[in-house]
Amino acid sequence: MSHTVKSFRIKQHSVIPGFGITMGFTFLYLTLLVLIPVSMVFFNSSSIGLVKFWEIASSERVLASLKISFGTSFLAALVNAIFGLLIAWVLERYTFPCKKIVDGLIDLPFALPTAVAGISLTTLYAPNGWIGKLFASLGLKISYTPLGITIALIFISFPFVVRTVQPVLKSIDLEVEEAAACLGATRLQTFIKVIVPELLPALITGFALAFARALGEYGSVVFISGNMPMKTEITPLLIRTKLEQYDYAGGTAIAAIMLIISFIMLLVINIFQWWASNRHK
Amino acid sequence: MSIEISNITKTFDSFKALNNIHLKINTGELVALLGPSGSGKTTLLRIIAGLERADGGSIIFDGKDNTKKTTQDRKVGFVFQHYALFKHMTVFENIAFGLKVRPSKLRPSKEEINKKVHELLALVKMEELAKRYPSQLSGGQRQRIALARALVVEPKVLLLDEPFGALDAKVRKDLRRWLRKLHDKYPITSVFVTHDQEEALDVADRIVILNQGKIEQIGTPEEVYDNPVNPFVYNFLGNVNLFHGRVHKGKAEFGSLKLDVPEHLEARDRQVVSYTRPHDIEICLEAQGHEFIAAEIIFIRAIGPIVNLEMKRVDNGEYIEAEISKENYRNLKLKLGQIVYVKPRDFRIFIPEDYVI
Ligand SMILES: Nc1ncnc2c1ncn2[C@@H]1O[C@H](COP(=O)(O)OP(=O)(O)OP(=O)(O)O)[C@@H](O)[C@H]1O
Ligand SMILES: [Mg+2]
Repeated sequence: MSHTVKSFRIKQHSVIPGFGITMGFTFLYLTLLVLIPVSMVFFNSSSIGLVKFWEIASSERVLASLKISFGTSFLAALVNAIFGLLIAWVLERYTFPCKKIVDGLIDLPFALPTAVAGISLTTLYAPNGWIGKLFASLGLKISYTPLGITIALIFISFPFVVRTVQPVLKSIDLEVEEAAACLGATRLQTFIKVIVPELLPALITGFALAFARALGEYGSVVFISGNMPMKTEITPLLIRTKLEQYDYAGGTAIAAIMLIISFIMLLVINIFQWWASNRHK
Repeated sequence: MSIEISNITKTFDSFKALNNIHLKINTGELVALLGPSGSGKTTLLRIIAGLERADGGSIIFDGKDNTKKTTQDRKVGFVFQHYALFKHMTVFENIAFGLKVRPSKLRPSKEEINKKVHELLALVKMEELAKRYPSQLSGGQRQRIALARALVVEPKVLLLDEPFGALDAKVRKDLRRWLRKLHDKYPITSVFVTHDQEEALDVADRIVILNQGKIEQIGTPEEVYDNPVNPFVYNFLGNVNLFHGRVHKGKAEFGSLKLDVPEHLEARDRQVVSYTRPHDIEICLEAQGHEFIAAEIIFIRAIGPIVNLEMKRVDNGEYIEAEISKENYRNLKLKLGQIVYVKPRDFRIFIPEDYVI
């Protein structure tokens, strides 16, 4: 098994006929919906030349915004990976009243217009808001800081991990856990050594989706971040600011930078995910 | 380690899966739990392992009450019906798991673990597959890995749930012989679940026959096969012929067949059922008195040393199965459609009111 190169196996027996048609359609679809719009970004930004491009890319304001965007998104995805796993666990393994309702609540962040989420979070976490007040008394400011941005991003990317982990958790055979218990493993050991490895591919997928979603988020963050250049300005907002000033080349240049970094990060995550799900095949 | 199961009862919702089970298993015994599907075999095994809590009763290991102990503390080896291997671990890691999860004080060194795992791989004859993942193994290989994994922690009690269920007849036979040998070599007490009576009769020291959550009979293979206590056990262990008739003052009448039954002297005109195994049916070419029934041969299978015959009684049309030796078959020169005279050489009579048939 380990001798075959899986990634280059193009055609294999499949229950769905029409390999040629489905494959062609896939490429067409991806080209129209993803490849062309994305390459427009590079096409537009290329008009300014490499020197100018580098100048924009390395400007302090852009670097600061990238740092905030990637930092908060990563943190938000990480928090969601941990708590999303916990929530998926509770929903799959325990029965409690109103479970269906709680399960339904999970998807709500997807349905809510992000601006609404942004406004309500801002009012809640502002220094005079209900929750913000508590933290303010501890000397901690949430709204209009990177912490506030992270909270908004946690909110909007929250369902991904829960929804990717849940079905996998459901499919894990209880007998496997019982086998571990018979061999003397404690609950914690069983969780770490037996359950987590099985969940890892789904967990990484959920993390990647949440991360990607958070990176692109704009609507809710503009309210809670305060948008102070160098401090709480996220990259999507910076791009918009440039566009509003009719600096199309500048805006698309920043977009191109963000795209490249995102692509590399998602690629790395995907390779890791591929490894996690294929190593025992 | 001896296991004493006393007064165990288990109810799922309102369904009684186990009803008042009493069973004592001696140190070093290999006991088979035999019963039809849904009779509670798995449930009983899980209760012994602590994977399921009984509603009442106690589980005692070597005189110590284990009822409230967790599975981890009972230290039993459990082999699951569907193997339950760890998919993301190699064969080696699967087997090593039980050693690696020990608290650091009791955990063997890396070299010791290595040695022990290879010892077990050799025991189950799978050394060359140590680096494979479970998805790359055949059913029989997975089963053996599951066994090796359970044995690595040197349990004193080994519980096996239909360990050879999903395997072909040849592999099954090999594995159960292997289990018997293993059992004779190591000081271990084993309980294995099966619904294959041949398997139970073949390897077990004692057989426990379960039916609808109750124990019907406990005994050595010979005891339960030769002296079934009731029609259920009789039926369950191999083929039987049923003769319906009546008993009056020690005389039994089954149609034209009349027999003396001294053990039922006090019976007064009772409906009875008589059980006879196919190999206890005697066949003659001529009628000799009242102890014979006329029957027509309707099917002959003469493959191997035993010849199977199916006959239809002339008087009431009931079917009779018989097994005779090839030699006897040749001497009698039996043919399809021939009328022969049949007599049960050995039989048991049960009065049906005592049992539901
Ligand atoms: N978790 C459960 N909830 C409800 N009923 C159960 C549960 N587990 C077992 N039962 C019931 O208890 C009875 C005994 O089940 P058990 O699994 O012990 O049977 P078994 O003898 O092992 O059968 P098989 O040979 O088919 O494996 C069955 O009728 C089953 O439906
Ligand atoms: Mg079972």
